[in-house]
Amino acid sequence: MTFEQKNYLHYQLLALTGEVDLHNSPQVRKQLLAIVESGNSVIVDFSALSYIDSSGIATLVETYNLAKNKQLSLTIVGARGAPLQVMELTHLNKVFPMIDSLDEIKE
Amino acid sequence: MLFRRILFESNITYFMSTFCIDYNVNIQEPYKKIMSMKRILHVEHSACTSQLCQIRDKVRDACHSLAYPESDINLITLVIDEACTNIIRYAYSGEPGRIVLEIFQHENEAIFHLQDFAKCIDKSCLKLRKKKLLEPGGLGLQLIYQVMDVVQLLPPKGSVGNILELKKHLPKGSQK
Repeated sequence: MTFEQKNYLHYQLLALTGEVDLHNSPQVRKQLLAIVESGNSVIVDFSALSYIDSSGIATLVETYNLAKNKQLSLTIVGARGAPLQVMELTHLNKVFPMIDSLDEIKE
Repeated sequence: MLFRRILFESNITYFMSTFCIDYNVNIQEPYKKIMSMKRILHVEHSACTSQLCQIRDKVRDACHSLAYPESDINLITLVIDEACTNIIRYAYSGEPGRIVLEIFQHENEAIFHLQDFAKCIDKSCLKLRKKKLLEPGGLGLQLIYQVMDVVQLLPPKGSVGNILELKKHLPKGSQK
């Protein structure tokens, strides 16, 4: 798993590539929490993510809750395949804002 | 002839190691059942998170051979990964150990056995507690129950260890 962080409009975009599991989700957690702690809303790009387990989902939930407390947001973009199935199975697709592409993000 | 003998002996060895040592249950039934099962996969890994990726790859391959559709393969792979994660986190509590994964095909279902050699856990550990959507903890177990048709702990082989048995119906057309 690798990730890349960059600015996108007034958001921080974190693009995940590969598979997120218990082995590497602590790295993702650290990165996501740091983004929100520094006062930024975050977009997590799932376009190149092929797998995410419950530890990765728990990381997203924790980040979402922290962002909400700080009047910030967490948005997921480009989820498909196995990661989308996990989001649907856990009903988190109804909680997190999920969009198909970055074009849907407004200023 | 030699191959047949090796096959017979390996089946007997498997049966002896699986059911004869400490199972105080009807030996005939599990014996009959195990002998009629087709073993799809038998792998052993150290119980550490760096192994999860390899385990998932092997589960995906096995599920492909069982003709599950891609959506089921994704979910079964997730469930086995979650079960392994629970073994690493809770059964071994991060201590070194081993995980044995076996997959069998029997009639209209695939049977997944995940064995560890940690302290025996209580069956209540498999109880699903009600939780709110964004409440932390227990998500892995919830996913296991959502995806699999049967989730149960088998009697341990010895004084230590646990065997988690998961069953999932095979897709129509691949049932033998």
